Amino acid sequence: MVAAFLSNFARAQRQPVDRWSVGVILLCGLILGPVLAVLVAAFGDSGGLWSHLYDTVLGRYISNTLILMAGVGVVAIGFGVSSAWVVSRYDFTGRRILEWMLLLPAAIPAYIIAYSYTEFFEYAGPLQSGLRHLFGWQSPRDYWFPEIRSLGGAILVMASVLYPYIYMVTRIAFRLTPTSLFEIALVHNRSQFWQVGLPLARPAIMAGLALVMMEVMSDFGTVEFFAIETITLGIFNVWLGMNNLVAAAQISIVGFGFILALLGLELYARSRQQYVSSSRNQTPLAMLAPTKAGILACWAVCVIPLLFGFFIPVGVLLGLVATNDLLADFLAIRSIIGNTLIVAALAALVIMVLSAFIVVTATFRAGSKTRKLALFASTGYAFPGTILAIGVLIFTGQFDRAIAALLGAQFQGILITSIGVLFLAYIVRFQAVGYGAMISGVRRLPANMMNASRVLGQGYMDSIRRVIMPLLKSSFLAGMMLVFVDVMKELPMTLLLRPFNFDTLATYTYQFAKDEMLEVAALPALMIVLSGLVPVILMSAMLRRYR
Amino acid sequence: MTRFAFPCLKLTRDYLAAAVFTAITASTSVGFAAEKINIYSHRQQVLIQPFLDAFTSKTGIETNVVYSSKGLAQRLKAEGPASPADVILTVDIARLSEYADLDLLAPVDSSILRANIPSRLRSEDNRWFGFSERARILVTSKTRVAEGAVLDLEDLAKPEWKGRICSRAGSHDYNRALVASMIAAHGEAATETWARGVVDNLARKPQGNDRSQAKAIFQGLCDVAIMNSYYYGNMKFGDKADQKEWAQAIRLVFTNQSNRGNHMNISGGGVAKHAKNKAAAIAFLEFLTEEKAQHLYGKINFEYPVNPEVSVSGELASWGRFKPDNLPIERLAALAPKAQMIIDRVGW
Repeated sequence: MVAAFLSNFARAQRQPVDRWSVGVILLCGLILGPVLAVLVAAFGDSGGLWSHLYDTVLGRYISNTLILMAGVGVVAIGFGVSSAWVVSRYDFTGRRILEWMLLLPAAIPAYIIAYSYTEFFEYAGPLQSGLRHLFGWQSPRDYWFPEIRSLGGAILVMASVLYPYIYMVTRIAFRLTPTSLFEIALVHNRSQFWQVGLPLARPAIMAGLALVMMEVMSDFGTVEFFAIETITLGIFNVWLGMNNLVAAAQISIVGFGFILALLGLELYARSRQQYVSSSRNQTPLAMLAPTKAGILACWAVCVIPLLFGFFIPVGVLLGLVATNDLLADFLAIRSIIGNTLIVAALAALVIMVLSAFIVVTATFRAGSKTRKLALFASTGYAFPGTILAIGVLIFTGQFDRAIAALLGAQFQGILITSIGVLFLAYIVRFQAVGYGAMISGVRRLPANMMNASRVLGQGYMDSIRRVIMPLLKSSFLAGMMLVFVDVMKELPMTLLLRPFNFDTLATYTYQFAKDEMLEVAALPALMIVLSGLVPVILMSAMLRRYR
Repeated sequence: MTRFAFPCLKLTRDYLAAAVFTAITASTSVGFAAEKINIYSHRQQVLIQPFLDAFTSKTGIETNVVYSSKGLAQRLKAEGPASPADVILTVDIARLSEYADLDLLAPVDSSILRANIPSRLRSEDNRWFGFSERARILVTSKTRVAEGAVLDLEDLAKPEWKGRICSRAGSHDYNRALVASMIAAHGEAATETWARGVVDNLARKPQGNDRSQAKAIFQGLCDVAIMNSYYYGNMKFGDKADQKEWAQAIRLVFTNQSNRGNHMNISGGGVAKHAKNKAAAIAFLEFLTEEKAQHLYGKINFEYPVNPEVSVSGELASWGRFKPDNLPIERLAALAPKAQMIIDRVGW
């Protein structure tokens, strides 16, 4: 049956069955399995809950989610694109440090930033206390201060840690834009940013934005803490409050629909435009030298996102650990640090190899249907972690039953009771990140690169190895870095799917942060940030070399 | 074709089987020597570790734990007969009944459990058991609210509290169970009217956790809040100076003392249906209801013992004796979906 399906699939594409494409289709099937399991779960009977939801909360869930997505999208693009432009086009003191520092907020888990922001901005926090001291106010009735636990607060908090997804890919896009085009703009006295940089970076920005949107869609930690009723919060209310997993799965499909619409829009927009350069960057792009005021502006553009995404939360955490016995705390969690780094590095490598395989094959080998399937396989990112984890469990349970039926009863539960289930979950979820990084890299390749190589007598594999992959190295590394950091801070799936007596820094941090025991959570939280630093620095150095 | 393909296929299959089998036995060989139980826990590790240590030192049985606040029932269900879990530990009756609804718990026939746990705190079919009781109470500002000004949960809807009440989100487990207890006492319609009144009286949008409600009273943002009593103990004896101040600012009010009694919830657990070490698992549950562990609940997290033979002591005793609501705890779970609907309708 599978064979029949595959050959039909291939025939529909009017291409012979190609083992590379079949590999991609099977792999995408595996990745989509858990997503489909959630969809299948949604086909159950929800017991007439919908009319209740429709009458009461659904409208609120949807409008809050849309506002949150739009707000975070705008702010994250503002932060990410402006800083990427400034560090790639202007030469100013401190640029090299800022260039990699701008990635750091990605290492801070959303639930940590929500806690530390509340600590900083609330009534008893240092900011309001300082203002009260300064102006002599006595009580909250004496002055107005914006409530951090609000939709606006959530937009700021989430955009501050999510903009690196856009920054990362956009910076590479700016850097790879042909020098000649900037020169043309210069000659014609047009804006290098608005008329060359931005339009050419659009695919990269969209790829980053898609990740940000999915991340917003799936967030539970921040919206729960800020009590913002989004679709994701609704999913949990229905599942845990009304004991109704079916209705919860159904609501998660509403959210899923948003993401599909977004991806569809992007596909449509892209189908009408092509960005290809056949020229090689022979002359490196000359950096622009800003004036004194310009340097200040450059700094402002870079420091503002860093302030919100890094300095404030890390400052709060540092303030908390300053009072602790650091060495003892560190020794207590050193094996957890080891666990976290090993798991994150392994997962990042596996995910990037799979992503590279999928993207390269889908681009150079397969038809448009396979390409769409590959895009679709990245939608796991849009589900709330816990819901996706349940999808993984359902899928793995079925998978194991099939294995046991095939190979014998001693194999019962072979995958689901091993750490493999956790890795599968990471792949299903973070495939989107790897895909996003690789696809934005592939889209910038000259269209005829592959053809030229094949015409010159190289085989497919040789062309990939000797021509395509070297050109995609920076995208691969960029993706690996994002996945590493993502896995390291991943919480809900790790919490649910981990083996016995197994902690990562995220799960360890969470059990304290959950109870607002931020002072105990601060050190492991800082360790997540610090551990994030290592790959950020390492890969930034490599990126610079492969420029 | 078939003649060549078949042995080849078989060979591959055998290799695969051997490789997989090796991997499995390698990964599960740990712990064959000593007796052990595997625990899926919705309770945080910091809270259950002292119990596990005490159990191991008493019996020599080792414990392994996976902690997650959500989804463990789905994990257990998907694992099916292959599941390594022996014991389930949770807080809140809603979670316990989730396991019961999915038929994931084994019936346990233990005279010790029956004797140590009052019948209203365990399931009729002996699948889940309560190990500690948690009181959801009201706290009021010591300075701005006179003692005795608020006595019953019902008072929260009175107009005199307009703009003076703080609460976490209504759809949190704790508030949902509280609303369920109101439904049990007054029926749905009256509860909805009451809940609407409470929401009208809120000083701010529902947010934060229970501790932050005490903090809000300390800061003067509101005068009355709903809180689980153990948070008071945790703030008073925790090592955060500012939280001690929050605790200082509030007075504990056990509600409904002249009628049905204060709303209670439980922490509890059961034995997994496909437990591999049933005897040890039952021994662990029994241990949790015995005097030593029952005292630990009070000492570690200021929760009340379920065992009527174990007296309340120390800090807990200083909060005073009170009358608990004797509603069979199972009713709270049954009414939870209705409670959530009311919460959705009134926008708590």
